[in-house]
Amino acid sequence: MSTRRQARGRTARLLLLSGSVVAIALAAGCVVGAGKDSDAAAQTARTSPAAEAAPLPSGSADPGTAGAEPASGPLTPGEFTLQFQSLLGQHTVLAADMMRGRIRNDPDLAQATNAALGKNTDAIGKLFSAEFGADTAKAFTPLWADHVTGLFNYARGLGSNDQAAMAQAKVSVTSIESKLAEFFAGHSGGKLTKQAAMAGVTDHVSHLLQQADQYAAKDYAKSDATYREGYAHAFAAGKGIGSALLTPAQGKTLDTPTWRLRSALTQLLGEHVELVIGALRAGATDAPDFRAAAAAVNGNTTDLAGAIGVLFSPAAGSAFQQMWADHIDLLVQYAASIAKGDDAARTSISGGLNGFEGRLSAFLATATGNKLAAQTLAKALGSHDAMLRQQVDAFVAKDYATAHDVAYSTYQEMFGLSGQLAKAFGVTVAKRLPVGPAQTGRGGMAPVIGGR
Amino acid sequence: MRVRGLAVPGAGAVLALALTGCGSPAGSAPAPGAPATATATLVKKPAADDFKSVRTYKTVSLPSRLRIPAIGLTTPPLEQLGRVVLPSYNQPKDSIELPERPEDAGWFKGGPRPGQPGPAVIIGHVDWDKSPAVFFRLREMKPGDSVYVDRVDGSAQEFRVTQVRQVAKDDFPTADVYAPDLAASLRLITCGGRFDHGARNYVDNVIVFASPVT
Repeated sequence: MSTRRQARGRTARLLLLSGSVVAIALAAGCVVGAGKDSDAAAQTARTSPAAEAAPLPSGSADPGTAGAEPASGPLTPGEFTLQFQSLLGQHTVLAADMMRGRIRNDPDLAQATNAALGKNTDAIGKLFSAEFGADTAKAFTPLWADHVTGLFNYARGLGSNDQAAMAQAKVSVTSIESKLAEFFAGHSGGKLTKQAAMAGVTDHVSHLLQQADQYAAKDYAKSDATYREGYAHAFAAGKGIGSALLTPAQGKTLDTPTWRLRSALTQLLGEHVELVIGALRAGATDAPDFRAAAAAVNGNTTDLAGAIGVLFSPAAGSAFQQMWADHIDLLVQYAASIAKGDDAARTSISGGLNGFEGRLSAFLATATGNKLAAQTLAKALGSHDAMLRQQVDAFVAKDYATAHDVAYSTYQEMFGLSGQLAKAFGVTVAKRLPVGPAQTGRGGMAPVIGGR
Repeated sequence: MRVRGLAVPGAGAVLALALTGCGSPAGSAPAPGAPATATATLVKKPAADDFKSVRTYKTVSLPSRLRIPAIGLTTPPLEQLGRVVLPSYNQPKDSIELPERPEDAGWFKGGPRPGQPGPAVIIGHVDWDKSPAVFFRLREMKPGDSVYVDRVDGSAQEFRVTQVRQVAKDDFPTADVYAPDLAASLRLITCGGRFDHGARNYVDNVIVFASPVT
């Protein structure tokens, strides 16, 4: 599918999303009003976790028609792999969030996260369906859903300190690892051995189980470090698996600098979205893992500023970091104002974010020689910030379904924005780089060198 | 009335004092400067209130020297190279500048510093008029060999060779060598292959690709 068609699809989805958010927001009063029932349900689940039904991560039996992401149609090899990486990264953080929600014995949240995971699973299925056919997607989706169920059950055991449940879940997860490895190896036409596929799947699962163990032990700093490693691994594994599923000629696309830059920016900015969402939720509820979540956001900020610094200049990287820090600070202050019940501060902070959006847009437009239109960029950043606030508003209102819907869309929107940034950055930076070979010999040793 | 934010420096939690008009003994007058009546309520200041984004830009020190034990090489201090602005023989416009002396290698200062995200490029001559130059033995390198880049601040970054390619200069992979991505890597470049006496140039470049050892 062409980039233009994708962009149209994204715009349409954003419009649909806006409508959905309004509708859900209108309904939120009922949800908040039903808080007692929700609390009762949560209490029931806390006292009797074993009675919980196993989650149903896949929302549709037909992956070819399920979900809103990604849009159907043939993709370029690069776009296919990039979408797969991004969805795999999103799966990783959603799975980790679901496990954490379950460890906290917060079943409403765990179920809402699980619904988001189902949406993500359907999106991967749809991606496979468009690229390899419906049969491939139909084989994949149930396996992936089982994988998610295994993780949920492990977290359930962890949350209730049920060693038997944890052990049983581990057996199940390990068994599914093997089936997933067989699936990927089998569809790679021999390019990916089962052993290599198994290593990728096992690492993915290990990151998720480890972050859950660390979270349950209240070692939030380690848990968030593992969370970030898991996200990065998802992008690396996504590239490895994606390229193995493509033909060798198609796979070469993934080695082009243009693609590599886009993939790296998608990873960094996607991680920004997910980490900020986690920090805002923890901040707004003054959760004990806030400081670790905020430290993870700072790690991502350092990486983003480093990227701008090497692409443009250290001075540009430093200037970007100041603006980005302003952005993060305002968002976290927004969360703090929620925690304090300070409505006046919430309103004031929203105004401050508008200022940031204008400044960063002007900065990037200048840095790229106006390859990025400042006004359009400011609008996109404004949408990004508004969605971040919407999701945390919904979260503190215990409207977890809306919180996850908006968070899901925020991630998807950033995918599109990352592509536009990567394209503009790549073209701008390429103009400053050397061209052609280096004439680094005068021939004095030619008989030795040429005779090799 | 409720007053927030009476911070206790260094304390994890901050106390807010809630003052009310209730509870004062009837008919008693407050001492000047003191609250008439107060009921203290502990309000925990949210952790998010103390958050500050990281604002210090993380720099990597400039490269100072290259060491490659596998070929017995330790370079003099690295030159800093830019892009050719005024073309001359052997140096067309926009190509990379060359080290001035045969024993020197140079780092392309318009790209990442070694160890930063992206491809850092170091270039050196293979030979001079009658003698070997700094990268004479670069063509002997193999995947797995270690390369060390020393930095001005005394630190060093190890890289491991992933690939050694000999490419025709008329098919030089500019994008593979210079184009930006965000994976830290190192490229070492010199000449190789047959010497074209008419053009007074080698027809190939030898490019060593290396990744950082973390």
